[in-house]
Amino acid sequence: MGLAESLARLINVALFGSSLRMTTPVLYATLGGIFSAESGVLNVGLEGLMLVGAFFGIVGSVTFGSAWAGLLVAVLACVLLSLVFAFVHLEWGADEMIVGLALNVLGQGLTTYLLLVMFNVAGYYSSDDIVGFELVRIPIVQDLPLVGEILSGQFALVYLAFVSVAVSYVFLYRTPWGFWLRSVGESPEAAEAVGINMRLMKYAGVLVGGAFCGVGGAFLSLAHLNLFSEGMTAGRGFLALAAVNFGERKPLKCMVAALIFGFTDALAIRLQRFGLPSQVVLMLPYIATVVILTLSAIQRIAARRARLATKG
Amino acid sequence: MNGPREVEASAQKSQVAQMLPGLVMQLLNYALILLLALGIGALIIASSGRDPVAAYQALFHGAFGSRMAVANTLDRSSVMILAGLSAVFAFSTSVRNLGIEGQLYAGAFLAAWIGFGIEGLPAPLHIALAFVMSAVAGAAWSLVPILLRTRWGVDEIVPSLMFNYIAIHFTAYLVAFPFKSDTTILPGTDPIYATAKLPRFVRGSPLNAGFLLALVLVFVVYWFLFRTKQGYELRMVGMNPAFAAYAGLPVKRSALMGMLLSGAMAGVGGASLILGFFGRFITQFSQGYGWDGIVISLLAKNNPIAVIPAALFYAGLANGSLEMQSATQVPITLVSTIKGVIMFLVTAQFFLRYLRHRYPQWA
Repeated sequence: MGLAESLARLINVALFGSSLRMTTPVLYATLGGIFSAESGVLNVGLEGLMLVGAFFGIVGSVTFGSAWAGLLVAVLACVLLSLVFAFVHLEWGADEMIVGLALNVLGQGLTTYLLLVMFNVAGYYSSDDIVGFELVRIPIVQDLPLVGEILSGQFALVYLAFVSVAVSYVFLYRTPWGFWLRSVGESPEAAEAVGINMRLMKYAGVLVGGAFCGVGGAFLSLAHLNLFSEGMTAGRGFLALAAVNFGERKPLKCMVAALIFGFTDALAIRLQRFGLPSQVVLMLPYIATVVILTLSAIQRIAARRARLATKG
Repeated sequence: MNGPREVEASAQKSQVAQMLPGLVMQLLNYALILLLALGIGALIIASSGRDPVAAYQALFHGAFGSRMAVANTLDRSSVMILAGLSAVFAFSTSVRNLGIEGQLYAGAFLAAWIGFGIEGLPAPLHIALAFVMSAVAGAAWSLVPILLRTRWGVDEIVPSLMFNYIAIHFTAYLVAFPFKSDTTILPGTDPIYATAKLPRFVRGSPLNAGFLLALVLVFVVYWFLFRTKQGYELRMVGMNPAFAAYAGLPVKRSALMGMLLSGAMAGVGGASLILGFFGRFITQFSQGYGWDGIVISLLAKNNPIAVIPAALFYAGLANGSLEMQSATQVPITLVSTIKGVIMFLVTAQFFLRYLRHRYPQWA
């Protein structure tokens, strides 16, 4: 098998299709991180929230026999947990980073506990009772060459993720609520001075953030695999945190970061078929994150130097 | 000649007298947090149809109920004390090191490598070499995240987090391929030589010299942070970086040093588990000790001495949960939920605010 042939087998249309699917859960959590961060609350608990979302997605799906009901239950669970986060942080003055870490510890502990108690299994739960999401075929698009294979035949939530990016952008930058939210994050005192309800905005940011994490979590458990396994988020919430960081909270730039992670994920899985050890494969997204953060920081500093140089 | 010293002594005494009510209030605060966490835990146990009282009795009995239980809890606390000290170093220099878990893995792997890779050294030398190299490995694992911050202004939270995953997967790769061992079914390295094993004290318990090392390091860290100029500098930078920079303190160098010391301490923690308990490196050997370390340093308010009781408490929870599970069928993961609740509240001011309001003479 020649190199060109191997490359063609590695990088083909299906790779881009699966990249979009791998991007989706990270992208939802990233949007969640953006809303929280824009209101001035750093949420390092995205990982735990997503895990809770994944678990309650299964609970909802099994109970009500519908994937969309599962999604709703997941979102409710995450919003509730985010409310606790916001309350403890905003009313009782708890440190946001520590409470975020608490979400991760609690998410891990509670889901494995409930897995045992509710479904009587350890490790993972998979059953025919779990109703997953269906793939969507888009009538005209699916017949297009190349693009059709990438864009059609995905889960509805994949499309919704990218729509959500656009909606979030419009909301944050084109509506008064978005402006209020961002100004609270930017300068709480100034925002209060002009009569913006700071507390309300922070609650809103954290809760919307939690809701997005719930969607991302439910996508993990109810799309493609239809199962819940302990710690199945596998650091995706932290990757989302990295994406928010890299994209400087701007929805489009953060989306690019999430896409890079999704692509690395999809590529890594394929590399496994070429004999790359799975442990190395699992490492790749995290190495990519560190490299991306480094490069963007260097570039930022270089740009600043260049600006200073032209100024004289 | 005695004048100033007496003044200093009486000043110290009054300082202690001033601190005492604060300490009492802090302990009361913790008691209330613990009560709330156990209460929420009890609700969860009861709602899954089991008896919370029996569960907590078993939990306590498993933690401190017998001589053997105490020995085992002391053993479990060694790595938690070291992880706690690691977090103390980081947080008292305002470095947010969320990579303690990964640094623990790096140190553990290197300790194992020295342990099985070198034969024929006298035991003290072998053990010392393994610990030193594990400290170096832990520090090295923290180097990239902190350099990213000091050189290029990248917030260290995300990179240090990422290095946890890199460490866990990388060591898993090492034991699956280059260091694959035929002596074990678990993915792990070869066993370490007897010369690298830490001596044990109590028949039937894994309690070993690692615990003594942890205690010694507590006092070393205390002395360093509170009795040396270097330590003072680190703490000043941690308290108020902007002011420290204004006062001409080397802020970046302090951050670098705080992180490296934190990483080194985490590496030693990992080594203590391998040399004292497991006898070889195995994947997934750490049950989140790095994260426990963060909470332990918070409970201890960054005071190295107070790390000991905080770590004992956490070790008791971990060990007690085993007996709770076998005696009452309440899964050990319940303890993670209790830990989560404690973590939610440990930095909250709710009870403190109430206590200060209720007992203003103490505030």
